[in-house]
Amino acid sequence: MFLGNLASLRYFLPEFAVTATILLLVVLHVVTKSPRSTASGFLSLLGVGAAIFLAGVAPAGAGRSIFEGMVAHDGFAVFFKVLTALATLVVIFMSMDSRDLAGRSQAEYYIFLLSTLLGMFLLSSATDIVMLYLALELVSIPSYLLAGYLKGQERSTEAAMKYVVYGATASGVMIYGFSILFGLTGSTQVAEIGRSLAAGKATLPMLLASVMVAVGFGYKIAAVPFHMWSPDVYEGAPTPATAFFSVGPKAAGFAVLVRFYYTVFAAADPGTGLWRLTSAVDWPFLFAALSALTMTVGNLVAVKQSNVKRLLAYSSIAHAGYMLMGFVLLSSAGIEAILFYLVVYLFMNLGAFYVVVLVSNATRGEEISDFTGLGSRAPFAAVALSIFLFALTGIPPFSGFIGKVYLFAEVIHRGVYWLAVVAALNSVVSLYYYTRIVRAMFFEEPKDASAIPVPAVSGALLVLLVAPTLILGVYWEPVARIAADSVRMLAF
Amino acid sequence: MAGFLATVDFSNPYFAVLVLLVIALAMSVGFVLLSQALGPKRYDRIKYGVYECGVDPITPAAVRVSVKFYLVAILFILFDLETTFLYPWAVLFRSLGWFGFIEMAVFVGILLVGLVYAWKKGALEWQ
Repeated sequence: MFLGNLASLRYFLPEFAVTATILLLVVLHVVTKSPRSTASGFLSLLGVGAAIFLAGVAPAGAGRSIFEGMVAHDGFAVFFKVLTALATLVVIFMSMDSRDLAGRSQAEYYIFLLSTLLGMFLLSSATDIVMLYLALELVSIPSYLLAGYLKGQERSTEAAMKYVVYGATASGVMIYGFSILFGLTGSTQVAEIGRSLAAGKATLPMLLASVMVAVGFGYKIAAVPFHMWSPDVYEGAPTPATAFFSVGPKAAGFAVLVRFYYTVFAAADPGTGLWRLTSAVDWPFLFAALSALTMTVGNLVAVKQSNVKRLLAYSSIAHAGYMLMGFVLLSSAGIEAILFYLVVYLFMNLGAFYVVVLVSNATRGEEISDFTGLGSRAPFAAVALSIFLFALTGIPPFSGFIGKVYLFAEVIHRGVYWLAVVAALNSVVSLYYYTRIVRAMFFEEPKDASAIPVPAVSGALLVLLVAPTLILGVYWEPVARIAADSVRMLAF
Repeated sequence: MAGFLATVDFSNPYFAVLVLLVIALAMSVGFVLLSQALGPKRYDRIKYGVYECGVDPITPAAVRVSVKFYLVAILFILFDLETTFLYPWAVLFRSLGWFGFIEMAVFVGILLVGLVYAWKKGALEWQ
């Protein structure tokens, strides 16, 4: 049933590509005379590109459990590997022309970025709680370093410190939950734990375990009330790293959340596309409450923000709340909606952050006041940012609308009307603060009206991010089909 | 009370652990509270001072330690762990054969890259 170590190697190629790139980056950094050269950026691009190719284009024999049951090689994992690697690819491009990082040694930055990517690969495919914990730490520890990469800047150091303290606490609570599960079932295999729990009736320990594990995963996806770290970290970290945190680790967090809870505390009903609860603990309700809380807190606090990075941090908390709606429904259509939403979220959120990078390169600031008059100073960037912001709000004809339609439709289909109402009200609130930036860009007079140059390469990347945001708003069917296939292949 | 006692399973092997737990808790909390309640309290300058084996303290207790100690400790742990992995492999070297050899070579190789990095970065120099 499980593949042995040697036989598994051929299904582990994307991970090898990333590992080899990390080692090459270290060697390159050591032998090269000028640590600030862009060679490390290009090398990382190559490595991540190879990983995407190996994970997505050539998914050899998906649907098996490899490395003695430690890691799953299935469509679900492949989907998240491609998604997180794509996010990393865009972030590497962003980092290469960010002023935040200019003049600093670059190689280590990319080493941390790729180490996080490796962790996300493992996190989205781990099927053993030991492997899962290890993968989570492999995502977290380089993330702390990325947050504190602007050595000497107080905000960045503060961000790293807060990130470490929150992260250590969350993962400590989570591994305590794991220990309870291991004590109850005597197994570290996720599938095995699920089977044992379904047979027994241990309500209190299961409640404890499911809540404790939720702390660890909730921290990774920045769900309220485990979100406190994220605004400070997002503000202090270098902007490309912030963009990365808001998409990559969040996506991997959703992957592990779905895989873990749908295996351990639920079982699939074959043929119906539904899951049924195997635990006496009503965790879907718990998460539905978290979802409502997350989107409400995220949106309401975002209204007051004057710093665009902080605003986008709270908006990304709110988006985690929307996506959690799909998680509580116990249906494969709900998970498909999350997967689809993550794809559109990737483009619109990274796009918004990319414009922030471009603007703060020129204005050296990230306040909303730095964006005034962007419509005349850099029309193309301003239009692009408006498209991303409207897509984040969920206004047709942009891709964010379709993402929300899928989520809302399934929530209503499964009869959780109150959650749909909360989410709809939240979307209205979000319109206010997103359009505040748009208003500043087009209807307010700038103090300094000089044009902001957008380099051709940056413009090209912006086009590459705008295009899917527009196209997925009118022709989304292929992506929806890929999402559906990935859930169908969710082989535990 | 009698009704409750009837429900307790004294033959459970973990019952002794529970008894130990309760007694340990009671004793530790009890002694702290007792010494608070009964002990004489005479507060003066010397009592508030730092205890340094009876000698008058000459420097503040919180000293800044060079970050290099930390670096050396981290590197030590890293390569110490590597050695721990090498021992069982060396014992089973013959039965693991080429598979074990290549796997170990990859492992040591990755750590070697790390060592070269640390070396080039000057982590091994004290100055």
